[in-house]
Amino acid sequence: MNSYYAANLLVYAGVDIIALLALNLQFGVSGIVNFSFIVFQAVGAYTAAVLSMPPDTAQGYDFQIYIGGYQLPFPLPWLGGAFAGGLVAIPVGLVVLRKLRSDYQAIALLVLSIITNEVITNARPFLNGAAGLALVPPPFSDVIDPNTETYQYFYVAMTAVCVVLVFVVVNRIVNSPYGRSLRAMRERELAAMAIGKNPVQLKMTVFIVGGVIGGLSGAILVGFIQLWAPSVWLYPETIILFAAIIVGGRGNNVGAILGALLVPVGFEEATRFIPSSFGPPGLIPALQWVAIGLLIIGFLWFRPEGVRPEPRHVFEGAPVREDLEDARAS
Amino acid sequence: MDLYVAAFGFGLVGMSVIAIAAVGFTMQFGITNMINLAYGEVMISSAYVAYYINRAGVTIWVGMIAGALFGAVFSFLLNRFVYSPFQRKGTSHIGMVIVSLAVSLMIANLLLPIVGYYSVSYQDTTGGLLRAGGIVLTTNQIAIIGVAVVIMLLVHGLLRYTRLGKAMRATAANPTLARNCGIPTQRVIDAVWLITGALCGLAGVVAAMNSDSFAIANGAGFLITALAAAVLGGAGQPYGAMIGAVIIGMITELSAAAWAPEYKEVVAFGILVLVMVLRPQGLLSKRGALAAAG
Amino acid sequence: MSRFKPSPFVSAIVAIFILAACGGTTSTGGGLGSGDLLVGVIAPFTGADAGLGPAYYAACLAAAPSINSNGGVGGRNVKCEQFDTRGEPADAVPAANKMIASNSNLMAVVGCTSDEAATVAPIIDRAHIPMFCMTGQSEFNKTALKYFHRLVPADVYDAFAMVGSALFGPGHDPYKKAALVFGDDIGSQAFVAPATNAFTHLGGTIAINQPIHLGASSYRTEVAAMLKTNPDVILTEALGSAGTYLKEVKTQNGGKMIPFIGSSATIDPTWFQQVRDAIGINDLLKYYGGVDLGYTFSGPAYSEFLTNLNAAASTFADAPKYKQRGSTLHLYDGIIMAALAMVATNSADPKVYNSKIIDIANGTSGATVVNTYKDGVAALKAGKSIRFVGAGGENNFDQYNNSQSGYILVGYDKDGNEVTVGHLTPDQTSKLIAAGG
Repeated sequence: MNSYYAANLLVYAGVDIIALLALNLQFGVSGIVNFSFIVFQAVGAYTAAVLSMPPDTAQGYDFQIYIGGYQLPFPLPWLGGAFAGGLVAIPVGLVVLRKLRSDYQAIALLVLSIITNEVITNARPFLNGAAGLALVPPPFSDVIDPNTETYQYFYVAMTAVCVVLVFVVVNRIVNSPYGRSLRAMRERELAAMAIGKNPVQLKMTVFIVGGVIGGLSGAILVGFIQLWAPSVWLYPETIILFAAIIVGGRGNNVGAILGALLVPVGFEEATRFIPSSFGPPGLIPALQWVAIGLLIIGFLWFRPEGVRPEPRHVFEGAPVREDLEDARAS
Repeated sequence: MDLYVAAFGFGLVGMSVIAIAAVGFTMQFGITNMINLAYGEVMISSAYVAYYINRAGVTIWVGMIAGALFGAVFSFLLNRFVYSPFQRKGTSHIGMVIVSLAVSLMIANLLLPIVGYYSVSYQDTTGGLLRAGGIVLTTNQIAIIGVAVVIMLLVHGLLRYTRLGKAMRATAANPTLARNCGIPTQRVIDAVWLITGALCGLAGVVAAMNSDSFAIANGAGFLITALAAAVLGGAGQPYGAMIGAVIIGMITELSAAAWAPEYKEVVAFGILVLVMVLRPQGLLSKRGALAAAG
Repeated sequence: MSRFKPSPFVSAIVAIFILAACGGTTSTGGGLGSGDLLVGVIAPFTGADAGLGPAYYAACLAAAPSINSNGGVGGRNVKCEQFDTRGEPADAVPAANKMIASNSNLMAVVGCTSDEAATVAPIIDRAHIPMFCMTGQSEFNKTALKYFHRLVPADVYDAFAMVGSALFGPGHDPYKKAALVFGDDIGSQAFVAPATNAFTHLGGTIAINQPIHLGASSYRTEVAAMLKTNPDVILTEALGSAGTYLKEVKTQNGGKMIPFIGSSATIDPTWFQQVRDAIGINDLLKYYGGVDLGYTFSGPAYSEFLTNLNAAASTFADAPKYKQRGSTLHLYDGIIMAALAMVATNSADPKVYNSKIIDIANGTSGATVVNTYKDGVAALKAGKSIRFVGAGGENNFDQYNNSQSGYILVGYDKDGNEVTVGHLTPDQTSKLIAAGG
């Protein structure tokens, strides 16, 4: 039994679950189409990296140029990553959420994701440009050797703890009166405003919380793969996460978990098993991507409500309305 | 100083290339509400069609027409067999974006085994070099500028003076009302995909000519520039896309002259960020900015 | 909350992973075992760097027949399989883990480019599988990974060789003003500092250091700025954008090309085709100078390599094009050396035969030099120790498993074949290294 591959898949699943819970909060529950989500994960990863790495002039690290390098011990890099995710959410939210209509938000955020990636790729002294940051020390690497099975189990356990924490927090938010306001705002914004809810403020808060959780997911991922470069967070990554939300079932946390298991882990990894020892090089790998695309389209066609659709909240006495708006709400 | 003048000339070429792509993209978004992430892949496919024709000895100008036709047909078929069925099923806007991404993945990776990973070039794409008052351009580059100007005039004429154009603008503004007023929205949508598909294909060939050397991997870059220009001008506004193209194309070259050239795209995108902060709906967007119902 | 019932589809996916992760048993102990042996080619096969993987796969396609038609490794046949890293580290990690988990018969791994080597090398190392990596990145100059073998020199030496071409190359006086045009990607920026140091300390001036953003649609303003500084020569590595940039140089310079010197990465059929299509074959022949490791492209090792490479065209039509690509030659040698190491130690356990690879490459005193797998096996059977000098020439691994040989100055012929145009003497080489710091 190869525990390294199993640990790899479990950690990736955990990271994707956390990311999707954050995205579900932003999109599934409060209807913000955050097409720049991957930027928050990237911010968390970069922050955790520069907080945990030694300065770039240190022995063995001097082939890369980057800011920071404080060699802080765990859990500071992870906390820093989460914090940074939330911090970056503030200016983005202030501009996009307060001033833009929702259909423009989507495309504006998409462009923002592209711009950020280009800027970091080009501005080499900031975060080492296209090469990214390598030799990121994994948490507790001075205590346990990262190249052992023990460490792998340990990392899976740490990720699992974070998943549980995030799940509890997000569930609390969703099932609280606060969460009801969010859902009301998503479905009937005018009505929500009429009873005194401030949609912009609610959206901002949710956006920031989503940013914090997204940043945490990046910190966990970078600690595991020990490298972070612009190629890891190109704009299609966000769309893949959205596909996961839709495939799993939007608006509910279990759906987000299912989506994480199915799309970024399931589709992308299962297609590696398409046998690649025949044919000219590159043919099967290209067809693996085609398979991923087909799987996504297939799911969207045959089961658009998701594997676990959002449970409808029915209140006695109130008529259940057939909600076309729900499907068009974004 | 003459570096700036030369850069200005280059900016004219750059903006021409971007304009054709951006106008097509923004019209797709404005009228069909689709953020079509497969746009770049259709561009690069059309560029390859023109390449094979060019390799058979035909001049690239004919190849351009072939690319435009291919783009038109390809986009039309994409809509007919993929996008439209999903939309009729009631797929949300997000779902459509996801579908378009899946389509772009499939196109890029189906094309890869066919055309290979080598970069290729068109033949005979330089023409003579002309110098005038500090501007240094080849005849082909001037021709590209000319093509772009003609296309912009045609688009303007289409939208302003033809019935189809008016129907397109009406459908963009309010599809239900348009249909109720007797506009055959389905046929209008078909026409939109054909026309914007042709723009997409033409833009692909022009962009490939402009780069001198292209491969499948360039498709993503084409999309990004078109998208940026479209959003800068106001998503869905064709005239906005033209302005966005002018700004991005010119700023890119001028900043390469003024500062470190490897940051030229950073500067252009920085301008975009600035505009988005000050006027997030884009320069020409007529609709209200506030987060009203919708 | 309703009861959660996993759908059958989800269960199926979970089952696949469990089955995969529980791969077969690893073979340990003496003897060569049975069943096929696998060489894993882990590299980008899709995405922006899709051109890298096939070059390495070709090496395996050529090496396998050299081994298999000469008795295999103790009768075991070598097979090749591609593992796509999809061009980015987060996808490379599961690719490497899956490769290891699903295959208990991995004898060697080849590829691991700069895109992913930093994450993938430790994974393969802890699985104790010899790997031959194609990355010039400096973090591997003093690596502690025992199973990491690098047959290509660190980027700094390439930079020195390019400066050597500018100063000591044939057919021209030493160039005085150089323009440095390197791409902003992972590999290329590492050239700038060593090239600047070497060139300026030996009397030249850098007219302009112009990093260019790879993949930009045009470089008009950059070229205009570069031309204004009037360089004698351009030192460049800008893979993927070379055609675009160089054509612009020719255009803006009134149709006349400026001499340009490329790194060893420019000895590549893809690069040749791109630049030839962009500026024309005549200018390419006349104005291009390249550097490369001292390949002779002749001899018994090379002929066997070439024969097998051409035969591989039935599976991979472009394989013969890689006949002069350095990385293809080196990986071919690496695979054969791994096989010879297995035979020499009579073991299929990499923990046993990994260190033997170094011995076979460097040779111990009194070793018999062999050039093919067949000869190597015969010599080993006769009880001799061997040194394998293969298609890529001699190897000299240092204590950090880095191997390099001397550079030569090269150009292309009209068919894209490499031709040697000059050499750097040991004296010149040491001058360059001293000046480069």
